[in-house]
Amino acid sequence: MSSSGEILPNDFPDAVNKVVFDEQIISNRVGELADEINQDYSGKDLAVVGVLQGAYAFTRDLVRELASPVPPDFMRISRYQKPFTGEVEIVEDLQQDITGKHVLLVEDIVDTGLSLNYLVQVLVDRNPASLEVCALLNRSELRLVEVPIKYVGFQVSDEFLIGYGLDFRGGYRDLPFVATLNPHSVDPTNLSIPTPQ
Amino acid sequence: MSKKLWAVSRFAHESEQELARFFSFYSVEWRYEPVCFALSWDEQGRVVKSITPDFYLPQFELFVEITTMKQRLVTKKNQKIRRMRELYPDIKIKVLYGRDYRKLLFKFGVLQ
Repeated sequence: MSSSGEILPNDFPDAVNKVVFDEQIISNRVGELADEINQDYSGKDLAVVGVLQGAYAFTRDLVRELASPVPPDFMRISRYQKPFTGEVEIVEDLQQDITGKHVLLVEDIVDTGLSLNYLVQVLVDRNPASLEVCALLNRSELRLVEVPIKYVGFQVSDEFLIGYGLDFRGGYRDLPFVATLNPHSVDPTNLSIPTPQ
Repeated sequence: MSKKLWAVSRFAHESEQELARFFSFYSVEWRYEPVCFALSWDEQGRVVKSITPDFYLPQFELFVEITTMKQRLVTKKNQKIRRMRELYPDIKIKVLYGRDYRKLLFKFGVLQ
């Protein structure tokens, strides 16, 4: 499989349009990020927190590349859904106390910044020694609120992406690469919004 | 705090209410149309053109304007935003266009 831009052969899932980052490119970039993190956190008590479900694969691979591998911990928050039910909740919480630790929060993709902002607030309230964010993908076009991201794997455009943890309707997370979603797999009749007269 | 404000506030458009729900869901404090910015004045000093951004997010000191309207009206809105940025360069404002809004709905699963 090649890197960017090639239309996939027919044996790939219908929802996959083209590969944006293949396994090798992802692996290389994860290694580069780990090098940066190793330098920055040398001698520090590091806690790596992955955000489920999307960042599981990225967190797992990143931790493997760290000089002093630390067992990753994970958090999961509820998703916005209709009917609107109130506020986000922590569905799965950390196993460890992060007080006084240097926390690295690992996200698969940051776009609006809303969920990341929430998670940062939650973790800051637990008094870590420091808190930084590492995101595999940064899609700033949809950014609503700014949250500092220290480590970014790739800057991406506003195309809908799947694979390597990113899902579409709960599927395609296990793809080993990041790909764009085939727009034909989405019902276009549902993509209209009311327009003021 | 604005936890339930999305339910009781009177929004000019459904998209604004949906955006308010997003903010509330993620515990982002918001205010709806709290400030009107004057953009031009007549010879007597009366304001003849103004803009009232849809939201203000105090935590981020950020105004958010959402515009899902037709292109002709978007052009007018863009002119206002440009003028606002000229007159009030220290004020941060983010504009969400129709396509951005649709992507948000898609992302949050409101559009399937």
